[in-house]
Amino acid sequence: MSSVIAGSVPRMMSSSMRAGTISTVRGMATATSEPARPANSPRMKKFKIYRWNPDEPTSKPSMQDFEVDLNECGPMMLDAIIKIKNEQDATLTFRRSCREGICGSCAMNINGTNTLACLCRIDTDLTQTTKVYPLPHMFVVKDLVPDLTQFYKQYKSIKPYLQRKDYPEDGKENLQSIEDRKKLDGLYECILCACCSTSCPSYWWNQSEYLGPAILLQTYRWLADSRDQATEERKLALENSMSLYRCHTIMNCSRTCPKGLNPGLAIAQIKKSMAL
Amino acid sequence: MFFRAVASPVRSSLARPCLGLHAIRNSIPAPIVAARHLGIPPLIAQPPGGIVGTVNDPVAIPPPDKLHGSYHWTFERLIALGLVPLTVAPFVSDAALAPAVDSVLVATTLVHSYFGLQSCIIDYIPKREFGKVHDACMWLLLGGTIVTGYGFYKFETEDIGLTGTIAKAWKA
Repeated sequence: MSSVIAGSVPRMMSSSMRAGTISTVRGMATATSEPARPANSPRMKKFKIYRWNPDEPTSKPSMQDFEVDLNECGPMMLDAIIKIKNEQDATLTFRRSCREGICGSCAMNINGTNTLACLCRIDTDLTQTTKVYPLPHMFVVKDLVPDLTQFYKQYKSIKPYLQRKDYPEDGKENLQSIEDRKKLDGLYECILCACCSTSCPSYWWNQSEYLGPAILLQTYRWLADSRDQATEERKLALENSMSLYRCHTIMNCSRTCPKGLNPGLAIAQIKKSMAL
Repeated sequence: MFFRAVASPVRSSLARPCLGLHAIRNSIPAPIVAARHLGIPPLIAQPPGGIVGTVNDPVAIPPPDKLHGSYHWTFERLIALGLVPLTVAPFVSDAALAPAVDSVLVATTLVHSYFGLQSCIIDYIPKREFGKVHDACMWLLLGGTIVTGYGFYKFETEDIGLTGTIAKAWKA
């Protein structure tokens, strides 16, 4: 106990000392821009973050500049954004929960790529400004929070649950072979962060009718499940020009997926299974 | 009366490059005013946030139509795949078969481009927002394809055909 306190006192002192010297060091760094720095000098990284406040609906969205010392910050973009909210501007609004890429809350557009802030490392090149936007082509609720209502409504429309016409006679589980279970790998891991759907130009233009890669990956997850018995109904729901066939194999979805999944392949498998 | 009401913002915005007071007061964008002059119906208003029903309702599933779904896609892909051998065929085919091979190539290319442009119209001029303009574009595309097809029919039967024309470029 005493060792913890003893250890914490010098750390607090050093951080307050460092805070006192920030302005001078920052001035020196920008004036001389030396490539070789002392180990403890602040590494100030610039961020430009999209801001829009629904309480001021007439003012346009704008980009706000922030600076964070990377020596005082964790390695991930989410660490930087939380640090900004804690220390610089408490009104900055974003979603976050698990900080380890399993909840899908912190999906946003960082340096032009849709990704999860918690899985995206801060670019340590201090000469470059990192730009952060909400997911593209979505209605914005506030700052980095997009409106995902339509996305969830679309997810609900594909009935994302096991549908059976009959049940095992022993009244126990619906069994599945190891091979059949393997078909679900690369599908069940999707966390519905909406990074892929909002990177898809087809989804941008026809969001209200085209289901988008995330939802179609989930459709395929249930089509590929050997236990599911609603395959025909699920396929029939896609038999129109909008729901599935607005996919033009642009493949932004597979490129951007922060979980490394391949929605483009899943959509191709659906199209193949529905072809003559 | 209607004409005069919409004409004034156009005139003022033509007179001054910046937005005229009329245009701001009426808040009708210039392209829409221009479209009204041409008799083109305005965009269909979409629900706020694109949300139909409550947040707990699933989005509506469109009525199934295989002709616009899987059959359409399969036919589209068969046409695209068929073009690969057909593009090579004129180089290797017998001279006597040349007009037939050429005609099949031209017909397949025409259908292929019809499907491609149809897809563009569905993407960028969706019926949801454009309504009758979407239908008009579809008919225009069909008409254009038929006219082009007739032109190529004349070209194939009375002239040297597509392959012959391309081959001529090397001899000229």
